[in-house]
Amino acid sequence: MSYKCSRCKRDVQLDEYGGVRCPYCGHRVLLKERSRDVKEVGVQ
Amino acid sequence: MTEEYDVEFVEREDREARFLVRGVTPAFANGIRRAMIADVPTMAIDTVRFVENSSVMFDEQLALRLGLVPLTTPPVGEFVEDDTVTLSIDVEGPATAYSGNLVSSDSLVQPADENVPIIDLKDGQRLEAEAEVVLDRGKNHAKHQGGVAVGYRHLQRVEVVGDVPEFEEPDERIVRGVIEDDGELVPTSEFDHDLTNRYPDQEVAIEDVPNAFVFHVETDGSFTVEELVTRAAETIEARATELEEAVQL
Repeated sequence: MSYKCSRCKRDVQLDEYGGVRCPYCGHRVLLKERSRDVKEVGVQ
Repeated sequence: MTEEYDVEFVEREDREARFLVRGVTPAFANGIRRAMIADVPTMAIDTVRFVENSSVMFDEQLALRLGLVPLTTPPVGEFVEDDTVTLSIDVEGPATAYSGNLVSSDSLVQPADENVPIIDLKDGQRLEAEAEVVLDRGKNHAKHQGGVAVGYRHLQRVEVVGDVPEFEEPDERIVRGVIEDDGELVPTSEFDHDLTNRYPDQEVAIEDVPNAFVFHVETDGSFTVEELVTRAAETIEARATELEEAVQL
């Protein structure tokens, strides 16, 4: 799963044992990247 | 119809009109009103494919906003209820995405207004999407309502019956709609809806004119008022024909 650090804006890959932390700056707030798939939404 | 049938326009613009219909029953007047709201097919966005949406709003919220943008509806016979038209939008911030940014694959289906705001995009944000437009009726979804403000009132006849007694302070007589004064049709907005402005120091009697209704119709820009009323009448005719054929079977 691809995330982006909210402080240093670098791409971060999370693994099972690393915990939620940016490996470059140590910041703990990571933002989930939007999928590149085209998303279809119905207007109802 | 109960008597001689007659239509007279009081105010007439492309998207808004006020007209008097004489010689129809209250049931028929209400039938026309309901048909204008719920039975006239109009074009509206039904599905949206988001290629990129880095704005602050969710895809679903933007899809609902796009669905409510009024689109021009082609003449009868050009489209049937299963046909689709594609609209696309691609706006990059800093900018506001407006309905005018929607590009249509068919010149007959365009945003009715260019200045409906969709989303304010900040620096680096982008909205890219494609939308499918379908023809459907207001009874299925409000986004397909061509008539947005449709109503009617009885035509009111005003007669002067005497003078207000001297030294008596006249009360306000508020009326709304259109009055008939000696055969002349007068919108009440002309005298600020207060009969004491039009008939100072005079006693007046007001009565509803039987089977005469003043319609006030406003469309969302899908088509003109004339087209909306005509298409509403046609849907009533089509349903009456359908009923007639069903009964004969």
